[in-house]
Amino acid sequence: MTLFDVVFSGADTVYGLAEGAINAAIEKHGADKEVSFPGTAYCLPCYYAVTGTKVTNLGELKEALGVVKGLETKNVKLNDVFMNGVGTALCAEFIEALKYLDGADPYEGTGCSGHLSDAVIRELGVPLVTGDIPGVAVILGKAPTADDAAALVKSYQAQGILVTLVGDVIDQCVEKNVNMGANVRVIPLGKDVTSVLHVVSVAVRAALIFGNVEPGDAAGLMKYTFERVPAFVNALGALNPVVVACGAGAIALGFPVVTNDVETSKAVNIKVPKSLIVQPDVDKFNATSLEARDIKIKITNIDIPVAFASAFEGEIVRKKQMQVEFDGSRVDCFELVQSKEMTEVEDHKIELIGPDFDTFEKGSKHSIAYIVEVAGKNMQTDFESVFERKFHSYLNCVEGVMHTGQRDMIRVRISDAAYEAGFRAKHIGEVLYAKVKNDYDAVVDRCQVKIITDPELVGKLRHEIAIPAFDKRDDRLKSLTDESVDVYYSCIMCQAFSPSHVCVVTPERLGLCGAVSWLDAKATNELEPTGPCQVITKERVIDDRIGEYEDVNEAVKKFSNGALEDVSLYSIMEKPMTSCGCFECICGIEPMSNGVIIANREYAGMTPLGMTFPELASMTGGGVQTPGFMGHGKHFIASKKFMKAEGGIERIVWMPKDLKEQVAERLNATAKELYGIDNFTDMVGDETIAEDPETLLNFLTEKGHPALNLEPMM
Amino acid sequence: MGDFKLTTVEEFEAATARLLETGAKVGADAWQIRVKNQTPHCKFGEQGVCCRICAMGPCRITPKAPRGICGCDVHGIVGRNYLKFTAGGAATHSDHGREICHTLYLSAADGNYKVKDEAKLMKLAKEFGVETEGRDLYDVAHEVAEVGLMEYGKPFGFQKFLDRMPVSQKDLLIENEIAPRAIDREVASSMHMTHMGCSSLPEALVKQSIRCGLGDGWGGSMMGTEFSDVLFGTPKPIDTEANLGVMNADNVNIVVHGHDPSLSEMICEYADDPEMIAYAKEMGAKGITVSGVCCTSNEVAMRRGIPMAGNFLQQENVILTGACEAIVVDVQCIFPALGPLSKCFHTKFITTSPIARMPMSDYIRFSSANAGENAKQIVKTAIENFKNRKPELVHIPDMKQKATVGYSLEAIVKVLDGVTNSQVDVTGTTKPLLECVTSGVLRGAVAMVGCNNPKIRPDLAHIELMKKLIANDIIIVASGCSAQAAAKAGLMDKRAKDLCGAGLKRVCELADIPPVLHMGSCVDISRMMNLVAELAKDSGLKISQLPVVGCAPEWMSEKAVSIGNYVVGTGIDTFLGVDPYVSGSTEVAELLTGGVREWTGAAYTVEKDIDKLVDAMIDRIEEKRAAIGI
Repeated sequence: MTLFDVVFSGADTVYGLAEGAINAAIEKHGADKEVSFPGTAYCLPCYYAVTGTKVTNLGELKEALGVVKGLETKNVKLNDVFMNGVGTALCAEFIEALKYLDGADPYEGTGCSGHLSDAVIRELGVPLVTGDIPGVAVILGKAPTADDAAALVKSYQAQGILVTLVGDVIDQCVEKNVNMGANVRVIPLGKDVTSVLHVVSVAVRAALIFGNVEPGDAAGLMKYTFERVPAFVNALGALNPVVVACGAGAIALGFPVVTNDVETSKAVNIKVPKSLIVQPDVDKFNATSLEARDIKIKITNIDIPVAFASAFEGEIVRKKQMQVEFDGSRVDCFELVQSKEMTEVEDHKIELIGPDFDTFEKGSKHSIAYIVEVAGKNMQTDFESVFERKFHSYLNCVEGVMHTGQRDMIRVRISDAAYEAGFRAKHIGEVLYAKVKNDYDAVVDRCQVKIITDPELVGKLRHEIAIPAFDKRDDRLKSLTDESVDVYYSCIMCQAFSPSHVCVVTPERLGLCGAVSWLDAKATNELEPTGPCQVITKERVIDDRIGEYEDVNEAVKKFSNGALEDVSLYSIMEKPMTSCGCFECICGIEPMSNGVIIANREYAGMTPLGMTFPELASMTGGGVQTPGFMGHGKHFIASKKFMKAEGGIERIVWMPKDLKEQVAERLNATAKELYGIDNFTDMVGDETIAEDPETLLNFLTEKGHPALNLEPMM
Repeated sequence: MGDFKLTTVEEFEAATARLLETGAKVGADAWQIRVKNQTPHCKFGEQGVCCRICAMGPCRITPKAPRGICGCDVHGIVGRNYLKFTAGGAATHSDHGREICHTLYLSAADGNYKVKDEAKLMKLAKEFGVETEGRDLYDVAHEVAEVGLMEYGKPFGFQKFLDRMPVSQKDLLIENEIAPRAIDREVASSMHMTHMGCSSLPEALVKQSIRCGLGDGWGGSMMGTEFSDVLFGTPKPIDTEANLGVMNADNVNIVVHGHDPSLSEMICEYADDPEMIAYAKEMGAKGITVSGVCCTSNEVAMRRGIPMAGNFLQQENVILTGACEAIVVDVQCIFPALGPLSKCFHTKFITTSPIARMPMSDYIRFSSANAGENAKQIVKTAIENFKNRKPELVHIPDMKQKATVGYSLEAIVKVLDGVTNSQVDVTGTTKPLLECVTSGVLRGAVAMVGCNNPKIRPDLAHIELMKKLIANDIIIVASGCSAQAAAKAGLMDKRAKDLCGAGLKRVCELADIPPVLHMGSCVDISRMMNLVAELAKDSGLKISQLPVVGCAPEWMSEKAVSIGNYVVGTGIDTFLGVDPYVSGSTEVAELLTGGVREWTGAAYTVEKDIDKLVDAMIDRIEEKRAAIGI
């Protein structure tokens, strides 16, 4: 038997299972029964991506099965093997989809996620492009021992790699108390081998969302995933034909498979360089896999007694696991970066002023301040806030440390486990020192950290140094307008995933991911002059109203490699800026009210446009201009430049309640300044008021919303 | 894929037609015209049944006259002709190899020729049993050269390089008395056997043909390749361009043509000299462009990235551009037609070797000892000729493709190392390639070699065969004019991966290679022999079991027959698109297509229908796979 024969036989098995399941479902529910996965705008995403056809009911699913049959040709060529692999994934998708009939939640209570929503993928966009998530591991099967399983998962976790688990390995991890969940980047998908489809679906939707791959362009899809999705498979235990067929699908998408099944590899010639690798030693799976997928882990050696990895960024330290807490809302706390003269800074000096954690009672609250003093020939005071904003991420990456807020409104929790492992105040300094030096080495020559836990001193410094510094920065930020600066910046960080998208970042319009402000872009340009953020001049205005510049158009054309000709900065109707797909929010026109509605990624409900966030989001992205829809950052909502060409923020008629609350203060201030309207957000609808256009219009009429009197946008 | 598109044979032909119009204007002759004059060809000659080895004849065998005057039957006559043909080719390649040995012998730290690849020299020294410890590099080089030279005439033993063969193949050759002895001896014995009144037994004649060929492939040619690498560097992947569009109308164009890199390397060296470039500018040109034709072009392309102007049947086109200041030739495959043709233009036709003297040429005798001066004189002559160009005759077809060339065995192994996983694999072997083949990702490999021949629409067979093979996940290694056909078409552009089946495409992507690998000139077919030997050793299979075949669809020279014989002798089935003048004898034909298998593990297939030829190769590869259960 050859490798190809094994794939064909596995594909036939899964095809048979899908056929049986579909027939049974039709018999039970009828052909008109609706089929879908929750939280996706892409129907059955894999089938849609491969064929361009949307499956919505069981009858169509049966037809789709016929199409898969046609794909699974059995000539002895790799193409046939790939197609059988892809067909197997599609059959798995069909089988999994049937579990969701009637709005069922088949994975509830299993500890497994099953299907992952579009929102999850959009959230993964930024960390994947920045390399915070350097790869995606798909581990399926059963490790020789539970310890092996736990060690393997933890090894990836410590590298920030997103881990998805399928099959017995999940129980092995449970047995070993592995910290699992989306927030620590270990996602158990399901126990059935078909649940591996849910991570395939993520890769496939990434191609649709970020890559602008046309549904039905199977070759384009496979090229995208091969070149841009850094995933790989670890198949543990004996390879049966079904697993091999799934593996063929993975390899077709460009994801190498590492197996420890030496027996099968002796019986069948299965080794394929960089694609199907036999590694008998599970201890070496990590290194073997990373090499096979060409994943480089950026190593930051930080001298702390606990792990440091982006996988822990979303980790939550709950009250009962908490050793000590510093809470800026109750006592004096702050974090601050200050630039100093070279002579004033002693590199790598970490100084603790006040008592260490040992003297604090378990579960108690205290004051803390940490001041990072930096010096460098190319350092600019504008960068202080850029570094400082990263502290949130830096401290969260420490296993057992949770950080929220910024400036003097921070809250930091240290878990008892971290404390017991030896984590103390100076380690905060070590983390901040190492990361600032590592990430900003082009501008920071020297760095020292002062950690202050003496409450009186913290209070004194807060008022004497920190607050004046923050005020000064706020004044500077207020003075930063699109008109007051000489240059804008391009940002093409996302091009790893979205090859033709370019953001133009201005002081009043931050990157649509919400992660890159004009100052960030400026700092990035300074740090890496040939990097993703390039200076764009703004000397040749074409149209002031919509914010169109010849210089900007030239830059956009260049950086999109010719995919984009022209963009406006301030219009969503005329030449709107494109989106990569990782935007925080999307706004779309609401024709009945002449306004726009905004939905944020976290919002799971319906909008008055009759579309959910994933559906709205699927209208744009991938670097394509879609007039009437625009992805953007949350912060942009309160900007005076927000769709200025169409009248500005007074066009906003609806937002999810949560989002509205988040932006209310700033948005109301802008509305007051621009139009003299008080409490503008009271006029803006939300899901508690309306989820359909008629009810919304009634509400807006009642409130006298200004958008109703504006020119129609279309 | 962007704007990548293969250049078609129709486009080649349109470009040639346009050049022939220029030729017609100046009254130039062309091979296209001469082919017409020579057609139909002599049937007796084509079938190989004409004997003129003694002065009693010539005798021609017909049904009415089944024996020559001496009584030799058609099988003896066809067999003798075949062996003589082989001996001609083996002598030619091997003499080329001998020249390189001499050049190595003359190398010196401060000489015209230096040792560029010391590691390779040391490896050869070890192989030849030459002491290296504590010795001067050039002492070692000279002794290695001398040992190499002795391989031509040594009284006893087999060719040293046979030790590179897997034992199974070497033993088979020895057992069947076809393991090659001294190189010159095999040529001389062949001439002896074909003398009037010696061998007329087809079996003996075919056996000696194989042995004589093996003396070339595992002797003279292999030495030519190995010592060239020592002197000029072992090729590694390098980007270049191919087809006439590489010539530059603003520059002095020097075209090197022939086979021996000793000359062309020196020309390239001096064409790069700032002094020479300045001189060219003084003479009104913007610079100097060196490009190549035939195998000397392959040699400098894969070591220096010098562009390839064309292959064998394009040699006249180079002059027809009207922009060629000098065509500088060494040995082999040079049309005597270039002399008269060059006189229709300002082109200097410069011959350099006492081996290849031609009428109507400027003879600048090139010698290893005075190579620098000779090359400088040649470059200067070309530069000074720039002013004589007739602008109204200048037309360079705007046609070229990008190519990545230079896949020596060492380079291929390095590429393969790149796809290993350091956690599980060893490096420095052909195992990754074997894994691709055994798993079925690649179905097999074809060595595409050989010339152009007007009997086949030029380049069409090479290109069409390659296109179909790569679409079927069969990787190609190519050399000689076949390699140039591929490069001209665009098949050596890495973007050609999109023309491959899914398996080869994935291999190209992971290894970052084009689907057709340029392994060098025609002597470099020895590299292919080393490659299959390594594959056999790494897999534990016999060479003849590997799903690998050789193919020369448009071959024309005696060298090609010698090559075919050593490829078959190495255990690789060989597919020809042109009959080697053996159709007159059922016995010889049957031996070559079947009987030799018993002695070598492989045989010939002759098929003039190109579609059938490629299908036959694919079928053979699949048969071989089935036989070993993969």
